Amino acid sequence: MKKIAIGLYVAVTVALMGWGYYQAIYVAPDEATMHEAQRIFYYHVPSAMVAFLFFAISLAGSIGFLSFRRSRPEWAQVSDAWALAGAEVGLVFCTVVLITGPLWGRRAWGIWWTWDARLTTTLVLWLIYTSYLLLRRFAAGPQVQTLAAVLGIFGALDVPIVYLSNRWWRTQHPAPVFGGGPDSGIKDPAMLRAFEWNVLAWLAWGLLILGLRYAVERRQQKIAAAEAQTALEEA
Amino acid sequence: MDQRAIMDHQFVVAAYAITWILQLGYLAWLGAKWRAQQRASGNRRQS
Repeated sequence: MKKIAIGLYVAVTVALMGWGYYQAIYVAPDEATMHEAQRIFYYHVPSAMVAFLFFAISLAGSIGFLSFRRSRPEWAQVSDAWALAGAEVGLVFCTVVLITGPLWGRRAWGIWWTWDARLTTTLVLWLIYTSYLLLRRFAAGPQVQTLAAVLGIFGALDVPIVYLSNRWWRTQHPAPVFGGGPDSGIKDPAMLRAFEWNVLAWLAWGLLILGLRYAVERRQQKIAAAEAQTALEEA
Repeated sequence: MDQRAIMDHQFVVAAYAITWILQLGYLAWLGAKWRAQQRASGNRRQS
């Protein structure tokens, strides 16, 4: 039953990805000033939204780990697995944002990069979560999960700063597409539909790989626990 | 197609292709990790 449900979810996700691509490339019209290069937006913005969501999941997992690590060790391990999965998959999406953004910027502004507030805070966010993963990969000892949870909490503080950066400061980055005042929002219905389908598609895809990353980490925890138990029995 | 339109098209293709290479590459890495875990737990059961 579980396998059928997963298979169905994968099929729906693949269909959504195909449909989102079709909408972005063939249905949405060319934007008046940026022309075809504006279609990068349909992958760039949903990736940023999904990255923010997954960093929030990582934050919740980190808080959960610190809350349960003494009272409920099993819950703490589950929380830690979510924290790691959220950070890692979020970083993949954040990497997409940092690559597709400069590709768009080169066509729209004539430059690959500028040190404005939105771009710089996004790069800082990427560096924080890269250091989070490097810490988990290379540090050893019983405190690694605790240190990672603390870093995960502080890293997530950058997410609202990234989100609000082009409201707080004057930036080269375009004004907020949504929630940026009466003039914000996508006016063309076909463009809006293409955007919404791609948000849905990337969210479905993101949740799929998030679930897989979580399952891999839980399995890793169980293997590590079994190995520790064997080592204790042999000693 | 003028030069600008060709360049725009190439940049869109690059953005979409890089996105998919990253996402599918990560999925492949996860799959490899999953299979390695399966092999490791199989070996443990045998020993």
